[in-house]
Amino acid sequence: MQPKLKSKVRCTDREIGEVTKVVVDPLSHEISHIVVSMNGSGERQVAMGHVQAVTDSVVELRTQSADILALPPFKRDDYVTTHEVEIAHLEEKLHVTPGEVLVPFPELEKNVKRRTFFMNFTHAIGFLIGLPIAFPILRYLMKPMYQPFDNGWLKIGNVGKIKQDDIGVQFKYKKKVKEAYMPESEIEKNVWILKATPAVLEKVYQGKDMEFRDAAGKPVWTNKKDIPYVAFSGKCPHLGCGYKWRQHKVLGQVFLCPCHLSIYDASGKVLDGPAPRPLDALPIKVSAAGEVEIIDMEFKAGTKSQIRII
Amino acid sequence: MADERESMSPTKIGLGVLWPTFWTGLPIKLAFAVLFLAMGLMHFEGRLGLAFLMLLASPVTVFALPIITMGLESHIGEGVGIALLFMIAIPIDVWAFGVVARTFFLEKFRKEPPDGLGMTLWWKSALVGAVFLPILWLIISTVTATAISMVHSLFEIELFKGIPVAERISIELAIWGSIASLVLILLLLIGISLVGRMIRSTAEAAQPASDNYQRLITRWDLMRVPSDQGLMLTALTGTGVVLSLLFWAALPVTTPHPHECCKKPEVKAQPPFKPLEALNKDEKMIAQLSAQVEALEQKKAEAEAEKDKGKGKAKAGKESAPPAPKKP
Amino acid sequence: MEQPSIPSTQPTAIEKVIAFIDERVGLKQMQAKMLNEPVPGGSRWAYVFGSVLLFIFIMQALTGILLMFYYVPTADHAYASTQYIIHDVDYGWFLLSYHFWGSTAMVVCVFAHMSQVFLWGAYKSPREMIWLVGLALFGIVMGFGFTGYLLPWDQRAYWATTVGVEIMDKTPLLGDFMARFLKGGPTPGQMTLSRFFVIHVMILPAALMGLAGLHLFLFRAAGPAGPFRGTPEEIRAKTDYFFPRQIWKDIVGMAVVFASICALAFWEPVVLLEEATPDPGDYHPEPEWYFLFLFQLLRLKIFAGEFGQFLGAIALPGAFMALLAALPFIDRDPERNIFKRPIALIGWIVVMVSILLFTVSAIINREFLD
Repeated sequence: MQPKLKSKVRCTDREIGEVTKVVVDPLSHEISHIVVSMNGSGERQVAMGHVQAVTDSVVELRTQSADILALPPFKRDDYVTTHEVEIAHLEEKLHVTPGEVLVPFPELEKNVKRRTFFMNFTHAIGFLIGLPIAFPILRYLMKPMYQPFDNGWLKIGNVGKIKQDDIGVQFKYKKKVKEAYMPESEIEKNVWILKATPAVLEKVYQGKDMEFRDAAGKPVWTNKKDIPYVAFSGKCPHLGCGYKWRQHKVLGQVFLCPCHLSIYDASGKVLDGPAPRPLDALPIKVSAAGEVEIIDMEFKAGTKSQIRII
Repeated sequence: MADERESMSPTKIGLGVLWPTFWTGLPIKLAFAVLFLAMGLMHFEGRLGLAFLMLLASPVTVFALPIITMGLESHIGEGVGIALLFMIAIPIDVWAFGVVARTFFLEKFRKEPPDGLGMTLWWKSALVGAVFLPILWLIISTVTATAISMVHSLFEIELFKGIPVAERISIELAIWGSIASLVLILLLLIGISLVGRMIRSTAEAAQPASDNYQRLITRWDLMRVPSDQGLMLTALTGTGVVLSLLFWAALPVTTPHPHECCKKPEVKAQPPFKPLEALNKDEKMIAQLSAQVEALEQKKAEAEAEKDKGKGKAKAGKESAPPAPKKP
Repeated sequence: MEQPSIPSTQPTAIEKVIAFIDERVGLKQMQAKMLNEPVPGGSRWAYVFGSVLLFIFIMQALTGILLMFYYVPTADHAYASTQYIIHDVDYGWFLLSYHFWGSTAMVVCVFAHMSQVFLWGAYKSPREMIWLVGLALFGIVMGFGFTGYLLPWDQRAYWATTVGVEIMDKTPLLGDFMARFLKGGPTPGQMTLSRFFVIHVMILPAALMGLAGLHLFLFRAAGPAGPFRGTPEEIRAKTDYFFPRQIWKDIVGMAVVFASICALAFWEPVVLLEEATPDPGDYHPEPEWYFLFLFQLLRLKIFAGEFGQFLGAIALPGAFMALLAALPFIDRDPERNIFKRPIALIGWIVVMVSILLFTVSAIINREFLD
């Protein structure tokens, strides 16, 4: 039990006064000293080591009153009150006041049901203020996230510039883009086109025509497996870098991506490197005069299955 | 305290009950008003403020409004939503009157509120409003119009003709504004006092309440706590969720007032494509065109033949067979 | 001692988390101190305006942040991006209209709150500092309205701002500097838009949050003033705590304001005029409605000429604000009952009626401009 303020202090021989102050150690939060009134002859600071027993109204010391009187007088200026210093959780540890100081509940607050009702009512109304705007805000933020696909044909050049079979030839083109309120601009893109021999063509199509569908599942175009021209999207399916057609010292003429060294053969199949799937083929149309048209599509990078995003 | 009770003027009583009743019902009425606006069931042009006041004071305006709209040809807005809103307002107002009147009876009159107080007060006030408000409307319209024209003619006098526009507007407004406001306030006070008188007579018939002041306050305070909190709160939240869902469905995705720059083009449905019809049409067209080409070629051949007759028979052989018309 | 195994209700997971935090932070005591504040005379609807203003500010911040997802503060894209929000983004028109009408609601509630404090005499000692911080907050709210108005960069926005900044130019000594600072140059342009944007979106919100926090702290230190009449018995009988009753009234007030702003957004969704051009053409510049009374005042002949404009635009409003600031120091009478303070009551009525008169005059005056 902690010594209480205003308790009587008794030495072995006689009563010497009351506890006027209590000193707390700021680090251990323990009571270190009591200050005794000494019945008017000057306060003395007594270490808790001298205390024999503590009750609610009396503090008993194990020394004689003369020894206490012999202690130096208490210097108030060396101390501040607990209100003038910030020591966390200190008030919780101190129980030095005899009794409590209380404040009555206002009459209207005595009913617990009333308090809980208005608390819950408040929560309900708060919820009902937020709810109507939640959906519009979500739709508002999501507006540009899922764009419909542009399935327009773009002229990108003439196959006349492909001189050899099974060799990747880069076709650069410009695509018109209009984003939200920005004025229309052009971006530069490229595709790799191959005039494929039947063997390579077989590896690309694997016996099936290649069907391209729109977001609703309606077929947009089908690449027939006997047309010898194949167009690969210029973006590597690993993480979207632009790849090249190069001479590899072991694997021969291949598509090589400089970013993470994915290597693809002429049919787009992965020979080496971190690519999760073969090169993405695009819808392609070649006119009698050799004019090439493609539908510009982009696919999610880094996935095994092909997911169209543009 | 007893003196205050005896001497409470009808106007004070009327105001003390009507003002809280209006505002108690408003949050619920507003929720429906917003929903109806989102659904496009009502439209207000310039008189939005007036519409708001009419809705706020719906205990007394519920019957007065149709009378004013139809009898005096004065509209606050359009749409079936307005009538719906005022009909929904009726049970809300009966409830609001009940809560407020019971509070007032306990605290100010120190009387036990009789059963069905809300209903009684509602229909009596609605009646008072139905009679008084159209009269008030008429008087105010007439007084305002007269005051405005009087003030206009005042400024035709030579003495005041020179006053510049901005000053004139403010002075005119101050004059007719104060006249109209004064008359309005006076009439409103009379109306409120009528309602107050009606409430006082209802109170006279009531039993006195025997509790002390604190207990009376506690009574009306606890009156606001429903006996089944869970039910009330669940019902409230459930209704709110349903109204929110309706709101989400009804809220127009794009602005109902588009600017000239960005009006969405009218999307015309593509005419249905009928393949057989198209083929027949095309075939007929082709046949027609080939016939035309043949005819033209023949004409050309005949013209050439005519020319060559003059040039000698040797050339006739070259022009013998006109080229067969090719199908396009 | 044998402990009988009584099946005690185990604390739920949430209760355990709360106990964990409470041990370390004193959460329960803090909550009790914040919420269990006795409101003398009981919670009142008249007291809701402060909390409602906080709610409106939070909604403005929320809708403002959402608008910033699509709006760009450049002279070449401000108009187009605002039109994009209105016509293309799902529910963009609704959020923008909410933001626009929310600013009106804020001004109305600021007037209501200031009037309530004035009429209840709650600016008197010991609440002088709360009043002064409140006046600063009032200025910030007006600043929000003024800076936000420019952002759509249509004719209305551009010309209202041009006229407004020209008026500020009339301030003696500092006027030209202030006007150039705001415009970012001698005439309005991209620099103006950038400055108004950063003031509207960063500086004023930070200032408002800081001062509002101070305002609340000072209010708590002084305690609520309570009603200005009633016997001590009546006041004690009706006294309840801030939580839950006053909080509940606050939230109903917020719901009413929220519904009103939504209704206004449906009634008059934001429609822009044409894009701003250096030539006003047929358009007659006009500030937002809450500046209209000042605008109309400056049309009066007594305020004509350079000195007159200074008088009407700077001196008079400045003197009025100075009077308001000095109010708690000149009005020392502890009487708070408005019906026993005739000068205060009449003064308030005169000011409100004058503002109303000149606002309506400005609207009528539109007919006479051609």
